[in-house]
Amino acid sequence: MDEIEKSTLPDSYVLMNKMGLDENEVARRKDWLEFTPDDEARLLELNEMAQGYATEVIEALYEHFLKFEDTRKFFENPTVLSRVKNLQKEYFLRLTKGDYTKNYIEERIKIGAVHAAIGLDVKWYLGAYNYYLRAVGERIFKAFKNNPDQALQAFFSLTKLVYMDIGLAIDTYIFQREMTISKQQEAIRELSTPVLQLREELLILPIIGAIDSQRARQLTEQLLHAIRDKRAKVVVVDITGVPTVDSRVANHLVQTVDATRLMGATLIITGLSAEVAQTLVTIGVDLSKINTVGDLQGGIEAADKILGIPVTGKHDDTLTSTN
Amino acid sequence: MKVPILKQGNILIATIQSALADKDLINLQNDLSHQVIQYRANGVVIDITELDVMDSFSTRTLRNIASILKLRGANTIIVGMQPDVAYAMVQLGLTLPDIKTARDLEEGLILLHS
Repeated sequence: MDEIEKSTLPDSYVLMNKMGLDENEVARRKDWLEFTPDDEARLLELNEMAQGYATEVIEALYEHFLKFEDTRKFFENPTVLSRVKNLQKEYFLRLTKGDYTKNYIEERIKIGAVHAAIGLDVKWYLGAYNYYLRAVGERIFKAFKNNPDQALQAFFSLTKLVYMDIGLAIDTYIFQREMTISKQQEAIRELSTPVLQLREELLILPIIGAIDSQRARQLTEQLLHAIRDKRAKVVVVDITGVPTVDSRVANHLVQTVDATRLMGATLIITGLSAEVAQTLVTIGVDLSKINTVGDLQGGIEAADKILGIPVTGKHDDTLTSTN
Repeated sequence: MKVPILKQGNILIATIQSALADKDLINLQNDLSHQVIQYRANGVVIDITELDVMDSFSTRTLRNIASILKLRGANTIIVGMQPDVAYAMVQLGLTLPDIKTARDLEEGLILLHS
């Protein structure tokens, strides 16, 4: 791994904490898999044997990787290939070294994060584990030829550990994607609520996209603070870009109107589409308290009237109701 | 804490400086009810700029004050409500529909004079 790549990777320790993987959680995971100290002892016993066949298994695994175009592209560089082979071997032997505690978990998280970062899909990752288990299982049963019961127990211990590793790695994948999603949602929210000052004492808030309750709350809070900070007297909220307005959103609009009035300002809503207007009347939302004007232009003209600025356009007064 | 009431021409100005106990609110109601006639005032501005919490009792009292003062011949205007207070109030359904509001003292005085 070169330096640049290293620095862009999330710190696995921080990641582990964020994912809530403390000692209790790790213990819960082990309990769920019925991973006991006996398993740990059985895995330790396998270590010597594993050292014998590690290289062989790793070579076979990478041959398998190179057979498929989707996985081959990760190993086109021969130095990368030999480095990951070494890391893989290290991991392979680590499986039978015991002490499956904090450090072990942290390493697994790191591996998950690396795989997520290079964009290796989960299916290849799972397939590789499957290959692993088959290759090792075969060798274990061969080694304990006279004691199949012991072989089975040892194999089961290995399976439990491998499943724990898979669980950790996949959780890391999911966690990182969720972090990306929430970051993007945040960015969208920030972008989608610009409060613009058109002239002194007049603010415009064009709303684009669907409104859920979280966004509605944020919109209102932002708007109310802008009213105070910019000393606005009139606010025009344009909802042309809102595809649907249900009773919840309508109710929120009413609340915003009330809160604006409590602060001593006036709110005008524009851009209610024909569909939205019909829906609101059909579901019986009481919007009698709200100033609505057909379009943004009309809204600004109505606002100018309240502000005492002479309207220059030829537009008729389209204000349907005033407080 | 007692709320100071200032006289400015025929307008009374009550500036609430901090969160008030119920008793202080009742006192304010009492004082305003008496002084509005005493000073022959026809308008009252209640400035709540410094208030960052409003509970249902203070809301109700403000509404009562407005109604009482109306009976005593004066208009009431609430000015300077903070965004968070306004939002919290409408969420509780406390919208003070029959009270006039203005952004600040200056605007409140202009409204009363007009």
